[in-house]
Amino acid sequence: MNIAMVCRLIWKDWYLNKAGILASLIGGVATLALVAAMHASQVALIMGMIVLVTILIGMGAMVMISAASERRQMTLPFVMSLPISYWEYTISKIAGGFLIFFALWVPLVAAIVATILLTPGIPHGLIPFVLIMAVEILMTTCLITVVSVTTESHGWTVAVAQLGAIGLNGIGWSIVRLPQIGGLMRSATVRWSGTATALLMAELALIVLMIAFTFFVQARKRDFI
Amino acid sequence: MIDTAVEFSGVTKRYKYFTLDQIDLKLPTGYIMGFVGANGAGKSTTLRILMGLVHQDAGSVKVLGHAMPEDQATAKREIGFVSEDMRLYGAATLEWHMRFVRSIYARWDNGYANDLLRRFDLKAQQKVKGMSHGQRVKAALMLALARRPRLLVLDEPTTGLDPIARREVLGELMAVLADEERTVLFSSHNTLEVEQISDQITFIDRGRILESSDKEAFLDRWRRLRLVLPPNTKLPGLRGIVKVAGSSRLPVITTNRFEPTMMAACTEVGVSVQAVDVMTLEEIFIASVQSQREGEAL
Repeated sequence: MNIAMVCRLIWKDWYLNKAGILASLIGGVATLALVAAMHASQVALIMGMIVLVTILIGMGAMVMISAASERRQMTLPFVMSLPISYWEYTISKIAGGFLIFFALWVPLVAAIVATILLTPGIPHGLIPFVLIMAVEILMTTCLITVVSVTTESHGWTVAVAQLGAIGLNGIGWSIVRLPQIGGLMRSATVRWSGTATALLMAELALIVLMIAFTFFVQARKRDFI
Repeated sequence: MIDTAVEFSGVTKRYKYFTLDQIDLKLPTGYIMGFVGANGAGKSTTLRILMGLVHQDAGSVKVLGHAMPEDQATAKREIGFVSEDMRLYGAATLEWHMRFVRSIYARWDNGYANDLLRRFDLKAQQKVKGMSHGQRVKAALMLALARRPRLLVLDEPTTGLDPIARREVLGELMAVLADEERTVLFSSHNTLEVEQISDQITFIDRGRILESSDKEAFLDRWRRLRLVLPPNTKLPGLRGIVKVAGSSRLPVITTNRFEPTMMAACTEVGVSVQAVDVMTLEEIFIASVQSQREGEAL
């Protein structure tokens, strides 16, 4: 595999998405600062979480949709005229997409956890729920990637991104209703349950499966333009 | 040096409503081949197979000695490809594209790139989304040429260009000819521009190669003979007749195997040759396609 070429393609996607990455990062940090400034009132917390989830999903969709956008904007022939195989192109799209997403996801999740830990009045019991939902957002982003890379259809990718955003609310609501998660959320200390661990493991396993499925589909393709 | 830049042997690609059928094609190093066909004839599919972007169902493809699609990443280091449906990144400047391509190709020629910028009247600082179609085509061509490829593959590059832009693009392609090491495969349905710049001609129709040969030999072989037949005289048995038009007394014969001895053969049987017309590439292409299609219909 031509790693140097894959890195150049990742750098290209990073460059082309830099405005979105920066705007999302600034938006996320500003939201967290506002939540802290409002002394983590219930309204500030709810509003802050909604804004952060929107930023993360929006950012994930924006980055991961780039595989479908290459076809839609007819830049795919340009990329594929470069000395790469389709396999390397797929790796660059997946690895690059996740790298860009992680550049936002990791600091924002870390900042959310730090805000919970450092702001007086926010129960630390929220942390398992926050982490499960953060990985859930990562999983939704992964789903968008699978659809974007394998179908290269802008329509399908947008539809899945919207369904993913709606599904996230439903999943969040369902998780809160689990006694071993919702029941421990108001605890002053972090209380990690077996259910929380199982949910996290299931999410991570699904992410791995989705990435494997993407490579499986791509390896069977015969027409790339 | 490899003598054959491109070689297709029995290449077949099947789609639901179209089949590229048993393509055999050879392009010697240092030549410019015009690949002519109507819309939907299979030009783009053939060139995409050449680039490894579409995998053939059967047959083998070798480009600059590399088997395709297996060695496409290596082969594409030495190929410049521009297609009519290729776009650059609208949000980025041409300068960014130049930096990006330069970082990939060791043979990138910065002096030549700047020279092409001037000749094509392009501004490196301009964003691609602010460019006209003609400027975008010229930008893509500049990015392909400045990497100094050994093989240049152009899929209908002049489609949609105004006459001035087309002339500039063709002029640059003719300048490329000066480099004997460079090989160009250039598809178009515009026979006039193919006739201008190519030294090899290939016709494709409905997924099949109709003819492929040296341009001069090609043009020399095709003639239209205007004959006068006396009453009760039959047409002599001439070689390569692809079409007989006109009236029974004043037939007009199109042949793709013309030889000067044909005129003597006509005179021998009492048929007088009123004129021998040289045919344009467009006339040859149309006659070739019609003859093939009529043959299929029979």
